[in-house]
Amino acid sequence: MRTKNRLQRLIQVRELPLLAFIVLLIIFFSITIKGFMTVQNFAMISRQITTVGIVSIGMTLVLVTGGIDLSVGAILSFAINIGGLLIIRGLPIAITYPFILLLGAIMGTINGLLIVWLKVPAIIVTLGTMNIFRGAIMIITRGKYMTQIPDGYLWIGSGYTPFVIFVILLVIFEFTLRRTRFGRNIVAIGSNEQSALYSGVPVNWFKILVYLLSGIFSALAGIIFIGRSGFIQPQAGIGYEMNSIAAVVIGGTSIYGGSGTIIGTFLGSFLMGLILAGITMLAVNAYWQGVINGLLIILAISFDTLRQMRRE
Amino acid sequence: MIAVHNVSKEFPGVRALDEVSFNVKRGEVHGLVGENGAGKSTIVKILSGIYTDYDGEILVNGNPIAFHSVRDAQDSGIATVFQELSVVKDLNVAENIFLGREPLKRGGIIDRTLMNQRTLEVMEFLDEPMPVNEMVGNLSVASQQIVEICKALVTNPKVIIMDEPTSSLTEKEVAQLYKIIGQLRDRGVTIIYVSHKLAEIFTICDSITVFRDGKHIDTVPTTETDSEKIIQMMVGRTLKMLFPPRSVKPSDEVLLAVHDISRSGEFENVSFDLKRGEILGFAGLIGAGRSELAKAIFGATRLSSGELEINGSGGKRFNHPREAFQNGISYLPEDRKGEGLLLQASIKENMTLAILKKLKLSKTRSERRERRLVKKYAEDLQVKMVSIDQIIEMLSGGNQQKVIVARLLMTESSVYIFDEPTRGIDVGAKYEIYKIMNELTEQGKGIIFISSELPEVLGVSDRIACMREGQLVRIFSQADANPEAIMRVLAGGDA
Repeated sequence: MRTKNRLQRLIQVRELPLLAFIVLLIIFFSITIKGFMTVQNFAMISRQITTVGIVSIGMTLVLVTGGIDLSVGAILSFAINIGGLLIIRGLPIAITYPFILLLGAIMGTINGLLIVWLKVPAIIVTLGTMNIFRGAIMIITRGKYMTQIPDGYLWIGSGYTPFVIFVILLVIFEFTLRRTRFGRNIVAIGSNEQSALYSGVPVNWFKILVYLLSGIFSALAGIIFIGRSGFIQPQAGIGYEMNSIAAVVIGGTSIYGGSGTIIGTFLGSFLMGLILAGITMLAVNAYWQGVINGLLIILAISFDTLRQMRRE
Repeated sequence: MIAVHNVSKEFPGVRALDEVSFNVKRGEVHGLVGENGAGKSTIVKILSGIYTDYDGEILVNGNPIAFHSVRDAQDSGIATVFQELSVVKDLNVAENIFLGREPLKRGGIIDRTLMNQRTLEVMEFLDEPMPVNEMVGNLSVASQQIVEICKALVTNPKVIIMDEPTSSLTEKEVAQLYKIIGQLRDRGVTIIYVSHKLAEIFTICDSITVFRDGKHIDTVPTTETDSEKIIQMMVGRTLKMLFPPRSVKPSDEVLLAVHDISRSGEFENVSFDLKRGEILGFAGLIGAGRSELAKAIFGATRLSSGELEINGSGGKRFNHPREAFQNGISYLPEDRKGEGLLLQASIKENMTLAILKKLKLSKTRSERRERRLVKKYAEDLQVKMVSIDQIIEMLSGGNQQKVIVARLLMTESSVYIFDEPTRGIDVGAKYEIYKIMNELTEQGKGIIFISSELPEVLGVSDRIACMREGQLVRIFSQADANPEAIMRVLAGGDA
């Protein structure tokens, strides 16, 4: 009886269709592409998905509360470009890394405060701050690249280091979302904000906290970005907002708030990385990637909407 | 236990509570009754800590209280089961019951073992305990309601307020709820039971407080009263002369015949005739299905079964409001701002919205014709405005309503459905709306008039259809109709 229940639970796991799709895709690519099933290839995919993947963890938390954060890419860029001014002046990592993360936290907090105070929809607030942050970068750096990055900054972007960081964060925040008061309360906020408020959930504080975390994740992704590319450019992080939202939504997190998993977000990120790699190696027109991702997003949101409607 | 002293609460334009005072004794089940808009929900929201801004004083156990939040009220021992379900569908049963007060281990981690165990303890009084790990969204509405009650119980309250707790329960579940209430009373918990169903009130309450128009009318022990007296207190004795006299009698010719129409979950097997020159009033409590019925007749939603007969040609059903317009039926929605007005558009644009095709606006001459037409209607209906190009948001509620009425009049329909046309507008504007309705009947139109204000339905209608829980229970002729009889039907007494 007990094992049967477990089996049923496993079948009901929401990530299962996505997992099945990933497995089928891997089989398809490994048949059609020579050298796809190699350790090097998967190592490359894992590296590629890490930066957007880390941003997506924060994005998952934001979406679960029923919000959205369009400023993640701009925060990433702002944090590393301003942090970069310290880096090229030769300040030690012990100062620059915390400084970059602090910038991310501050900008995330600004988003959260504006959303909570002005009661303006998150999509508008973060669209605004995205443009403000991007504009500020260009004003401050005058669009210049910073290439004089000391070697010490490259370690975090090399080998398996980024992926290990990503996985550790995945585990921590999967646990946070499932097991802690903060995690369960943000689900409640996204599902029924008024009810959460009436139940004594610190709604405003937790909302600010998810944007703060999203800002920190963006800045952290920026630190890894420096490590991987070896330079800092004002255009860093462009498109991250859409790619991370895509990964989160494909991973089964509801765009309407109230449900989502970090595991799903990982699978969503991985699927997108897989498709990019497959398309590159098949040497088909690279723009197909956009088309396929777009279709996946619409498919994922349709499932989500269907689920919502069935419950009404 | 609870003493309410001279409590008043104002909303823009409405005095929802007017110097209300009453006492609730410890350990009793205290019924709170009144018509729609009598102020029941307002006092509930004050007692439960949602409205924090009001005049007057509330004492709990002799101590004055001032709640800042629902949590505050709960900490003072007052828990509320709200009318609208406030469960979180994406959390499981235990998580819902402990939402905002989860037992924690170190580091903010929820102690699930303890939480589930205490959930089972709270549910001990149930015949069959609920699965604590089930998502609440997967439960029946009744089970969700029970989760709500458990959520109130877990705060260990001295007072539980239940606001229309049976509105989504079946009879069997209501019996279950009575049992729960009985057990709570035996434990010494005080219960404030808000309902407009008198049968329920008389079954379980020890004393009854009646509200009308934001005023406290009386508080009486259940044993010293009967439903007749309570109904009289609820509706008041006199109907003021607020209504223009009717000038025509309805003819025998049937304009619209409704045959056995249903829409699943909303209303069932409704049949009635509307005659030329008649105002057919629809009375009912909120949620009785009147607006749903109107929208389905008008084609804004689809009928599941049944058909309409218009001017003798039967077998009709509308899939779109456009079809209803073409058949001479127009609808004034209940929610003026949400469903009626283009708030940022001008008076002119709002008025001619439904007849743009007829006006053929591409030609300059018809632009002039449009302006003339709008001016004529605005004058006829006495819309107070600067010009017809004024943005409609700037007008008062009554004048906004007149603009929408004008929009309907321009369609030259034969059947008008007015859904709460006088809600939120002042007495003078109400009178003018009634006058327009009278004039329409003089022109041989038929009117379906939905209103939650009983005096108004009685004052204006030729016949009064009473709906309760999706059923058309009875149609009164003007001669048989009196507020007490109608209230008895609406509140679920004998039909």
